Amino acid sequence: MSKQLAQHEVTLLELVDRVLNKGVVLTGDITLSVADVDLVYVGLRVLLASVATLEEGPADGGR
Amino acid sequence: VSDAVTPRAETGSGWYVYGVVPAAAASDELLTGTTAIDASGAVAFVADGELAAITSVVPLAEFGEAAIKQNLHDGVWLEQKVTGHEAVLETALARAPLVPFRFGTIYRGEEQVRQMLRANAYLSETLQRLRGTVELGVKAFLDPEEFERGQLGDASEEPGDSGRAYLLRKQRDRQLAEARAAFTAVFAQESHDRLAAAAEDARANPVQRPEVSGGEMILNGAYLVRSDREEAFRTALATLQSINQPEGVRYELTGPWPPYNFVDVEPEQ
Repeated sequence: MSKQLAQHEVTLLELVDRVLNKGVVLTGDITLSVADVDLVYVGLRVLLASVATLEEGPADGGR
Repeated sequence: VSDAVTPRAETGSGWYVYGVVPAAAASDELLTGTTAIDASGAVAFVADGELAAITSVVPLAEFGEAAIKQNLHDGVWLEQKVTGHEAVLETALARAPLVPFRFGTIYRGEEQVRQMLRANAYLSETLQRLRGTVELGVKAFLDPEEFERGQLGDASEEPGDSGRAYLLRKQRDRQLAEARAAFTAVFAQESHDRLAAAAEDARANPVQRPEVSGGEMILNGAYLVRSDREEAFRTALATLQSINQPEGVRYELTGPWPPYNFVDVEPEQ
């Protein structure tokens, strides 16, 4: 189960790394800036941390 | 629209662009089974000249200038949308060369998408270059403890807590750190060169920090590989793995990806 989770994390990071950082960057009418994208990593780490917490379950019962 | 929205939220629709394929390849078949990044739209082509953009209509309430920047910080939203972007491209990639766009490139109308295609006609050449290739990702991680064991072999540690034992341990630690730095530098270049030799093009990206990658990353490479040479590339990687495993190195292969790393206009290395 936790191995599966690790795989999931790797894939999502790989994905975000490519889809948000690479690819053709053209100025659309709406475009994300480098600063916007940098901030995403912060959010992503929060997400992964919370998934890991869910995986481990409550450490000290119903808090 | 009578739903209560925050005052600055935009209304109306935008045209989200996933990527570009040759207009000649833009058949409905190419998009069979795709799901748009937003459920209210369907994936469709907008073509002009030799190029066709893969698009779907998205609500600006969610993808507008301010909204999308805010939504990026919602991990669940981000995962869904980034996965959706990739899924559309992977479906098309199986049947046609394609230039992937970065996430979140949105135009206000179909005509603006056509204008973009006209202004970037050079993408035809990029598509030609990418025909018949896929991107593969290779990351390598070093396990510091395994590396240490590999370096020390059977040499046993000086036991005890005498001053002499302490000094020997300090000296050993310093030597190990030096050996590790030297190995890492040489290793990354060698691995990258060997993999690049089995590829049409290659990029060595900066390694990710341990708190992002979850380990000590020593190689973060992307390789543009001809589909008919994918087996040879995998063999080259397997060879590297068998050579470097005793040193505590673990390789990780991902893909095939749309060629995200090979559509920039950076100078050749």
